[in-house]
Amino acid sequence: MTLFSMEDLKKTFINGEVEEQVLNGINLSLEKGEITALVGASGSGKSTLLTIAAGLQSATTGNIIFEGQNMSNMGQEEIRKIRATEFGFVFQSSHLVPFLTVEEQLMLMLDVSGTKMKKREQKKEVMKTLQLVHMEHRKDAYPASLSGGEKQRIAISRAIIHRPKILFADEPTASLDSERSKEVMQLIEELTKTLHITTLMVTHEDEMLAYADRTVTMKDGFIVEGNEKDSSSRELASAY
Amino acid sequence: MKIAWKEMKKNKSRFIILGSIVFLVSLLTFIISGLANGLSQDNAALIKDMPNGEFYMDEDADETYNLSKINEDTEDKVLDDYTDAAALSIQMGFVDDADDKQQSVAFVTSTDSDMFENVKDGEIVLDSSLKEKGIEVGDTLTNNQFSDDFTVKGFVDEKKFSHSPVAYINKENYQEMYRTMEMQLLFIPGQDQAQNIDGLQAFSNKDFLDTIPSYSAEQLSLNMIVWFLVVISGMLFGIFFYMMNVQKVGLYGILKAIGVKTSYLFKMMWSQMLLVTIIALLFSVSLSQGFSYVAPEGMPFHLTMGTTGQLTIVFVVIGFIGATLSGIQIKKIQALQAIQQGEV
Repeated sequence: MTLFSMEDLKKTFINGEVEEQVLNGINLSLEKGEITALVGASGSGKSTLLTIAAGLQSATTGNIIFEGQNMSNMGQEEIRKIRATEFGFVFQSSHLVPFLTVEEQLMLMLDVSGTKMKKREQKKEVMKTLQLVHMEHRKDAYPASLSGGEKQRIAISRAIIHRPKILFADEPTASLDSERSKEVMQLIEELTKTLHITTLMVTHEDEMLAYADRTVTMKDGFIVEGNEKDSSSRELASAY
Repeated sequence: MKIAWKEMKKNKSRFIILGSIVFLVSLLTFIISGLANGLSQDNAALIKDMPNGEFYMDEDADETYNLSKINEDTEDKVLDDYTDAAALSIQMGFVDDADDKQQSVAFVTSTDSDMFENVKDGEIVLDSSLKEKGIEVGDTLTNNQFSDDFTVKGFVDEKKFSHSPVAYINKENYQEMYRTMEMQLLFIPGQDQAQNIDGLQAFSNKDFLDTIPSYSAEQLSLNMIVWFLVVISGMLFGIFFYMMNVQKVGLYGILKAIGVKTSYLFKMMWSQMLLVTIIALLFSVSLSQGFSYVAPEGMPFHLTMGTTGQLTIVFVVIGFIGATLSGIQIKKIQALQAIQQGEV
């Protein structure tokens, strides 16, 4: 079942007199509960596509349909609301708020998403989510005292605590070593399946594709290949 | 705004520096304002303490009370028409005490009125600052323009004119000393609008203060310093919050990306600004009020709670404006830029 689709999406950057076409009519649908990996060489347009899909910048032309609503026709405030309630974000860096403890970071996200919960219920929900990422023992820690892998786990828990429908992940393992990268990807895969979240992920690491249900390859602003995960990649994932 | 407080707790030094600067600037402003008020009292307490009304002086006096001579017929008519009115004269002079020590005073005389001291022939009522010069009730004072002696009948508090203590004397004694039957001024209390009286020019209390030599120049300079300091403190707020906001562009961008409203970020900044300002002002108000008790005797320092309250409100408003102007950049922050910048 299609949850999110992009139709004939184009993005042009104008730099002085030079026009650069970064996306050349992208058509892509995200199926509910699937992990879609966007791959491609640097400058292929994959990060631009992800940020446009996430409502962080607008497309020059084309439509973005989320649950039957055309986001391209929405105002900034409507898009912000969708970002706060329906989307979750994981970036290359964890981007945690430096002066909030792990628990407070997650409670802030619950507030932002407009979840109507009392403080005690919020704390319970935070603990439940931290247990999912195996970080409940660090709930009172500040980001400065966390390792890179721990920070990224907290960033993931912040991205899913409000139970978003779509998780946007922009190279979530780029700042981690291979062991931590594997843990983080396993976590994203596990959460996606457990919580039925649809994930769109940008990555340049081939090993990470093993966790995707579908790999979409981009080149020069075009989608050149879009595959369902085949049995060989599933085997690779289990071996990895 | 728990998040605002959490940031302040985590970045104490940054906010303590901002608070200290606001404290120092506001303390300096309060002290200078106290000095301005003190000098104003020292220069014109006699006039400032009078009820609202209108002063009248000879229209040919070139707005200089010293040159004013009010025709006796006009004076009688005004005093008949307005029962609360009084005619008065002020002359700078001096008195000699028993040790022949000269004390500079402002001689003031008036017709019968509740607004001025009722002084009999040969009596003198002095401002209490002369007590410190060793003058006591019952002392005999002389003046080379007066044929008799003055006996000190009593003292009044805070009655100064042109930085000199006021000396109330009897009308007849004044007329003998200054060889004139004409009074300089008429004062009609409780007048919202000046009356048209032939040959006289009307002045409100404030306008009359401005005719006193040095008064407006003195007050203008000091008030200008006060308002410069207020504006400077507003600019300091703006610059500080601007610098803090620049450092937090990444953080604000990420918060915006996850769906935090821009208004939430503004509220966060306003809460911090308010807390810093209120704490800094609490310290500076307490210290400046305390200063009035320890200020040296000769220092004309007068800081009322009213003035302090007004300046406090101005500081909060100007801090708010400074912080808000610097916060316009928050509105412009693009979430995407912050993500591309890396770790916050």
